[in-house]
Amino acid sequence: MKELDLLKKDWKKQNTYFPKLSYHDIYILIHKKSSSIVKWIFIICIAEFLFWTGLNFIIPESYLDIYKQFHLNTFLYISQVLHYILLLFFIFIFYKNFKAISVVDSTNLLMEKIINTRKTVNYYVYFNIALYTILSIILNVIMLSNPDILIKVMSLEDTTISTDNFLTVLLLVQITTFAVVCGLLWFYYRIIYGILLKKLNKNYFELKNMEG
Amino acid sequence: MTKDLEHKFIDEFQKNQNIVHKVCRLYTNNQEAHNDLFQEITIQLWKAYPKFRGESKLSTWMYRVGLNTAITLYRKSKRTIKTTDFENILHRIEATDYDPTEEEQLKLMYCAIHQLSDIEKALIFLFLEDKNYKEIYDTLGISQVNARVKMNRIKIRLRTILNP
Repeated sequence: MKELDLLKKDWKKQNTYFPKLSYHDIYILIHKKSSSIVKWIFIICIAEFLFWTGLNFIIPESYLDIYKQFHLNTFLYISQVLHYILLLFFIFIFYKNFKAISVVDSTNLLMEKIINTRKTVNYYVYFNIALYTILSIILNVIMLSNPDILIKVMSLEDTTISTDNFLTVLLLVQITTFAVVCGLLWFYYRIIYGILLKKLNKNYFELKNMEG
Repeated sequence: MTKDLEHKFIDEFQKNQNIVHKVCRLYTNNQEAHNDLFQEITIQLWKAYPKFRGESKLSTWMYRVGLNTAITLYRKSKRTIKTTDFENILHRIEATDYDPTEEEQLKLMYCAIHQLSDIEKALIFLFLEDKNYKEIYDTLGISQVNARVKMNRIKIRLRTILNP
């Protein structure tokens, strides 16, 4: 291709018109802060770990009193211990993957490592969603199959609302909350993947497709 | 020790800074973006420098970090692309060549290259720098056969852009 040869000839000549940075200029540059995607992914991942782990502490103690009435204490305790073990496991994998990211790797490998690091945190989020969903299903089944205790605990005996209506409302409120939370999560991940990872994903798939 | 390393790095970087400029030229459209990417590549090179053992040439190592930063790590700080600045960059070509038809062709060629994807730009860059397919494999991580196939496709694409 003759245009390409022409371009190559010109490309070799261009060195002369690039500005030459002085020692001092370079010194200033290397002391500036990086704004690389890896740094952002690290910050966001740490924030997600903190958020999902923090959710456990936000729930007030008094809320757990309800479960005492249903003799669910041991069950909740075990599920919490399990949660922390898995949290440590996820943090370990995340740290290992993050440390493996190296700008000196080939582009293909570098992108793979970044995506793997991000995936660890995604799995942690999926795990949390699954855990909360399963727990709330189990708790609801237990509570709704014992409506007498539930009504007693919520001290609703003197209200005019009927038991059936009350249970329906309770269930509807829970389903709505669940749907809203899922919607917010979906929105959040759209933002993360849309803004932060769009370029990375696009380039990664282009390289992968090349390898067929 | 850190000061020594810093001194050594700045010294070596100063001699090879054109490599970074060339990467920025392919991946950015205006001076502001050029400087921004230049800064990020420089920071990444400095961060990776303590692990540089000299098993490859410094220039090869710089190509790799430079391209990786441009393709993967770099995020544009501003989204707006100023077309006037783009013109300015193109004008710089005029000073080096006096043949008006060649000059026109070069302008079109640079325009066409800016329309390629990030990965395609990387291949063109390595081609312009006379890197062989083994080095392309080491840098991008795509096999030599696939790199060759892709390079041919890029040539066809450039031809289509130039003669629509």
